[in-house]
Amino acid sequence: MEAPDGELVRRIAAGAEDAPAAEAELCRRFAPRIRLYGLRHLRDEDRARDLVQAVLLAVLQAARDGRIADPDRADRFMLGTSRNVARRMRDGDRRTTGDEGLDQLAAPAAHEPERVDLAALSRCLGTLDERGRRVVMLSFNDERRSEEIATLLAISAGNVRVLRHRAIAALRRCLDAGSGAPPNVETDA
Amino acid sequence: MTASCAHPIPWATLVDYWAGDLDEAETAAVDEHLFGCGACTATSARVAVVTEAVRDVLPPVVTRARVERLRAGGVRVRENAFQPGARSDVDFTRDADLLIHRLEGLALADAARVDLRITSEATGDEISSFEGVPFDATAGTVLVACQRHYSALPHDTVMTVSIHAPSAPPRTARYTILHHWESP
Repeated sequence: MEAPDGELVRRIAAGAEDAPAAEAELCRRFAPRIRLYGLRHLRDEDRARDLVQAVLLAVLQAARDGRIADPDRADRFMLGTSRNVARRMRDGDRRTTGDEGLDQLAAPAAHEPERVDLAALSRCLGTLDERGRRVVMLSFNDERRSEEIATLLAISAGNVRVLRHRAIAALRRCLDAGSGAPPNVETDA
Repeated sequence: MTASCAHPIPWATLVDYWAGDLDEAETAAVDEHLFGCGACTATSARVAVVTEAVRDVLPPVVTRARVERLRAGGVRVRENAFQPGARSDVDFTRDADLLIHRLEGLALADAARVDLRITSEATGDEISSFEGVPFDATAGTVLVACQRHYSALPHDTVMTVSIHAPSAPPRTARYTILHHWESP
């Protein structure tokens, strides 16, 4: 059974013999979450990777110094640090990731995100019905809100959302089928 | 890290989250849940892979402004002109990142909507169709962005442009374009 996050933080703070392993495990658990946060809020894969490095460095340093007040809520500490660092990155502060500090990471975030084959994606987009495809493209390619799309297509914003989540689930299934990935668990209901 | 989740975030909410369609408080709540939940993080990643890839997709029909932005961004664009009724060959050479098929000779001054349908010349099967594509009414053109990953599609294409104008029957123009792909 995996050690809880709080237990890992306590081992790091105590400088225990297995502290490096605890640091590596904490990085493994949180790197994907920080990356996704960065992708969602910074809208850029490179900046999301920078965010992962900067946040893990800051959190590990805080853990070593015993500055994480509630180790059992290490996830909250990670999120708070992610918010602060992302805000500084958006404000143009380039001092968020000191390259000199990267080698201090016990386990650099080696998480490799899934890549989409564009040809497969194009084929899958072609399998959507016209309305679903338009909603997906207007949402993510044109970056329009559901209310705007609703006006364009003369349907309700609620209908736009339903069409969109069903279309994304259909695209996910189509990509999984093409890649031989295991069956998905999403529903389009 | 939790292997499962007692209260998983619904798929629909995650799609709205990645679409930027949740308000600030809802977004913050999703962020908070994801940081504490490995299972929902994994599902969110599966949504994000699709939505962020769609963000990067260049539409098959583009505006002149977008072509110029791509050129300014360093994309190697090769543009070719095509006339209605003509049957033409086009090479997607290694030194190009993107081909722009400029479909010319279209009477678009009164056009309210333009649709594009692409079929295979040999089989007649539909490859794709698009309603309400961008067009240049003054130049009388539609710009098709032919992308390298389209090599997976049939190479013998018939592009049929349908022009819809008020109080007039639809007009069509056909362009047969045969693609030849060089490996990058």
